[in-house]
Amino acid sequence: MAPAKKISISEDELVSKLKSQDTTAVRTLYEMYSGALMGIISRIIPQTELAEDLLQETFVKIWHSAASYDSSKGRLFTWMMNIARNLSIDKVRSRDFRNAVKNQDIENNVDFIDSQKEITFNADLLGIKEMVNSLKPEYRTVLDMVYFKGYTHVEAAEELNLPLGTVKTRIRMAVGELRKYFN
Amino acid sequence: MEEARVYIESGILELFVLGQLNAQEQAEVESMAAKYPEVKQELEAIEIAMEQYALLHAVSPSEKLGEKIMSHISLDPATRITLPVSPLASEINNQQKIRTLRFALAACIALLAISVAALFSTRNALRTAKDQIAELSVNNQKYTSTVNYMRSENEDLRKIADMKSDPDWKAVKLAGTAMDPKASMMVYWHVSGKHVMMDNSKTVLPANDNIHQYQLWALVNGKPVDLGVFDVRKDHSKILVNMKDIAGAQTFAVTLEKKGGSPTPTLDKMIVAGNVSI
Repeated sequence: MAPAKKISISEDELVSKLKSQDTTAVRTLYEMYSGALMGIISRIIPQTELAEDLLQETFVKIWHSAASYDSSKGRLFTWMMNIARNLSIDKVRSRDFRNAVKNQDIENNVDFIDSQKEITFNADLLGIKEMVNSLKPEYRTVLDMVYFKGYTHVEAAEELNLPLGTVKTRIRMAVGELRKYFN
Repeated sequence: MEEARVYIESGILELFVLGQLNAQEQAEVESMAAKYPEVKQELEAIEIAMEQYALLHAVSPSEKLGEKIMSHISLDPATRITLPVSPLASEINNQQKIRTLRFALAACIALLAISVAALFSTRNALRTAKDQIAELSVNNQKYTSTVNYMRSENEDLRKIADMKSDPDWKAVKLAGTAMDPKASMMVYWHVSGKHVMMDNSKTVLPANDNIHQYQLWALVNGKPVDLGVFDVRKDHSKILVNMKDIAGAQTFAVTLEKKGGSPTPTLDKMIVAGNVSI
């Protein structure tokens, strides 16, 4: 999968279409962002079927809550990503999910260890490899825990046995390196 | 400027984009972004970087999912609502409105029922009041007439009582003739004033019918003089009835004549007669 599909529509135009309940806006959003959102959801919920249900839930919520999106407060993707992540975290913390995956805990832990070893879903992609090389592992671990794994930065600090200030600094440094990389 | 730089370097903007802040902290970042363009710019740069990072980690969902989601959304009733309002919110709103309107309708019906009941009870009360007023006014008339009757009766009785102290008043008792021996009557005659009155309270005559009337006569030197007609009813309205004046009568008599009286008495219809005692 290509990192980003080039679709010639401005974000403003897309937002106004979405707000006027034009279904083509959802189709465009799906084409542009379903992979990125699925990436976030599937790192919190590895079961593909459940993750896809949540992706559908995410798009339905985007569709229903379009009116509440305020472009002056942030980019559309940030808003959509937060919807996807919050739905996923709610799911993970729900009782039925815990019961369903009780036996898979070990597998999840393995997966988490894998990610710390930089073996991720799309590790075979050239882009990731390049980027991974440019991002210090200790920065990346903290960022990925918060961004992809559904940890709060406080939880990440506890998990990694680091002071909260250090976690905050590492997050900032990681984002700074990403910015440098993408520019 | 300095404040903005310090704020940017605190790392709070990264936490904001990563969804790590509580509502109060989020509002603070939003207001700082609105205040300082460089904060806003910095935020956007972080957002773009994270967006790129997410895109780099994209995982393709299965091919059919896109169509499944699109058909789900197309079937959604929200598609038909074109207003930029959350369809769910407006639906809930409508339901609430409908519920409110139902309550209002029920309240209106209840009020109407109460009003109709009140109107009926008022109408009944009014009718009762009207009946009572009518009854009272009838009673009032009855009392008035009774009072009037008693007043005139009282007057008449006083007159009769006064007669005793005036020697000119003669009480003439008329006794029944062969026609009706039980009949009797009393006539008062003022000799000098010539007044003649009959006393209903002492009249014992059978009631006359509609085509006949009693006629009072005075015999003056053997000649009958008409003193007027009168009726005898079960309930007389006055005690004393004034008749025509007469001077020098020796005898009073009553005959039953045709209605309105006759110029001369029908002698075989004479029912009572009495002489003036000297």
